[in-house]
Amino acid sequence: MKFVIEHLTKHFEKKEVLHDINFTFEEGKIYGLLGRNGAGKTTLFNCLNRDIKKDSGRFYLELDGTLRESVPEDIGYVLSTPTVPEFLTGREFLKFFLEINERSVQSTKSIDEYFEYMKIAPDDRDKLLKDYSHGMKNKMQMLINIIAQPNILLLDEPLTSLDVVVAEEMKQLLRSLKRGRITIFSTHIMDLALDLCDEIVLLSHGELEEVEKSDLDSHAFKEKIIAALREDGYE
Amino acid sequence: MNKTLQISFSLKNTYLVNGILYSLKQIPIVKKLLPEALYKERGLKIFANVLSVLWEILSIFIGKLLYLLTMVYGMGLLYRQVPGSYLFMHILLFLTVIGAFSNTSLFNPSRDKYYAMILMRMNAREYTLVNYTYSIIKVILGFAPFTLWFGVKRGLPVWLCLAIPFSIAGLKLTVAAASLWDYERRGFVYNENSISKYLWLLMALLLGAAYGLPAAGIVLPHIVSAILMLSFIPAGAVSIRKIISFGYYREINRQMLSQMMNQMDTVIQNTRKASEKTISTDTSISSNRKGYEYLNELFIKRHHKILWKSTQKITLVCICLICGILLIMYLAPGINKKINELILTWLPYFVFIMYALNRGTGFTRALFMNCDHSLLTYSFYKQSKSVLKLFQIRLREIMKINAVPALIIGVGLALVLYASGGTDNPMNYVVIIVSILCMSLFFSVHYLTIYYLLQPYNAGTEMKSGTYQLVMSATYLVCYFMMKLHMQTLMFGMMTIVFCVLYSIAACILIYKLAPKTFKLRI
Repeated sequence: MKFVIEHLTKHFEKKEVLHDINFTFEEGKIYGLLGRNGAGKTTLFNCLNRDIKKDSGRFYLELDGTLRESVPEDIGYVLSTPTVPEFLTGREFLKFFLEINERSVQSTKSIDEYFEYMKIAPDDRDKLLKDYSHGMKNKMQMLINIIAQPNILLLDEPLTSLDVVVAEEMKQLLRSLKRGRITIFSTHIMDLALDLCDEIVLLSHGELEEVEKSDLDSHAFKEKIIAALREDGYE
Repeated sequence: MNKTLQISFSLKNTYLVNGILYSLKQIPIVKKLLPEALYKERGLKIFANVLSVLWEILSIFIGKLLYLLTMVYGMGLLYRQVPGSYLFMHILLFLTVIGAFSNTSLFNPSRDKYYAMILMRMNAREYTLVNYTYSIIKVILGFAPFTLWFGVKRGLPVWLCLAIPFSIAGLKLTVAAASLWDYERRGFVYNENSISKYLWLLMALLLGAAYGLPAAGIVLPHIVSAILMLSFIPAGAVSIRKIISFGYYREINRQMLSQMMNQMDTVIQNTRKASEKTISTDTSISSNRKGYEYLNELFIKRHHKILWKSTQKITLVCICLICGILLIMYLAPGINKKINELILTWLPYFVFIMYALNRGTGFTRALFMNCDHSLLTYSFYKQSKSVLKLFQIRLREIMKINAVPALIIGVGLALVLYASGGTDNPMNYVVIIVSILCMSLFFSVHYLTIYYLLQPYNAGTEMKSGTYQLVMSATYLVCYFMMKLHMQTLMFGMMTIVFCVLYSIAACILIYKLAPKTFKLRI
């Protein structure tokens, strides 16, 4: 499977944020999307997730040689601030989600097994989500997105505000999930990107470009990335 | 000093100008015409600057004119049995005392102070003194023409009329100096926006003295009020020394504005918290349904307090009112004819009543704050079949919630009509009940439809749509003007029924066509 973006552009009023993006993402890899503040990472995600209209261009999935437009069900989108329906308990949210998606989701686990998998404690499973901590909300959001088995998983700064233990758990989880799908992970933290991601992609001047690691050591690689981003000029 | 005045003026002006430009940007059609680099556009800036200067000049005079015209002179005209010149001075004296506490300018934690002293780190003493002096000059200049005008009209001597602005300023200075002294003594910072209950009580008493005593025929002889007023002038003059020599302006402003700093950060968080509080934590709540019905039932049950409880209260009040009217009609049969006439011509009034009673805004707000704002970030929730299925369920729920009081009001009106002598045409009964039910149907559909079509909030739960606010205001205005309409109940009722049914059908068609595209988070 490949995910292909062709000539994607987007501007707000006169400012062009995404300028003719062309890129092909490949199955089984985690892509680290780096860009300076305001470079348009979230805008790119919002376009891919069809939350905002693109100006032009297209993106499609290439499955065994056949092309098709990506549909919302192909994409799981985990936001930096986790959003969960506050009036439901964790268990109710999961139950609701599984019922709604009975047909599309082959659920192999029971609800408690899912909680176990995400390391959400038994006491917390029947609490209202409004009383969940930031990390637990994040886990719920991640869980829902994982169960849906999307072909493409978009993660917008997902680990930045988690405590070290949860962040480590999430990293492990993402690594275990990368098979069979495309994971695109935006972050500001270079070390995280280098640690977790298979490819580094820069968003600068409204375009995506891959940074070749070739035979650089990690220090030289970092220098190369910073130099490339610095060219982006003022923000 | 001069420099400080200049800076604080330009600072205040800048944010006023930007405020004007920002609000222009919120108006649906105008915003398309405005350039993107709005805040650096010279022409627009000049325009907004002119507005801002005009505003400053107007604010010196308009407020004082309105105050004297309505609160002192106008209210004074209502009392016939006491002499006008006595009354003018009497009311003015008491209101001046209230104003000296409630409108100090020195102890008002305003935004420009926050910007200047906290963010820009301007010298607190200099900034405060310069601005306070300016505000006192505004008081004197602003009041002078109008005390002269209204005072002479009320038969006061010209010299007294001219002295009054200085008295008002004098008392303000005195109260300010006393508050500063109070700070030195016990460290208490007076804040005119959060005053103690004792001060509230005192103000209520003073207000009572201003307007209540004359009603009982008691007014201070104007020689007494005049002497008291004039005594504020030397008191104020003495107070100036205290105000100039006070050494802790930085401290009091920091303390006064610290609340404001916290408020600014947490407005959004507070709204979120407030809406989360409406969720019931009762652990016995559960549901046996499946899928969307499951979601909906849990939502309704956990928001029982804001949805059904208030409807129950409204219904109860309606029942009591109707019983009350029936009782009065029984006790005083003389009014029956009048009531009968009213009911047969006043149906348009009920449009506004039904508007006021409907729970549409509360319902859609809770839907967004506690449910949709999070679920709309999941792709499964945005699929058109999900959106439409939930719309159906929600429409059913809000119709049920609104229909209960509507049914009671409709049946009640029909009963009152019957008890007040009835009507020749029995269709009237049917039309009253059905048309009021239709109105409630209309409001249910209307609110839910504009919520689905315009979805006005962004992920941070801020209201982002100017169009939504326009539609809401238009709804209010239309309902309001319905009260002015007098039409035969039968005629108006029929028209209402037809309109409401057609509107509902049109709205549902629009929803099915558009909602899957429009119902998403604003970015």
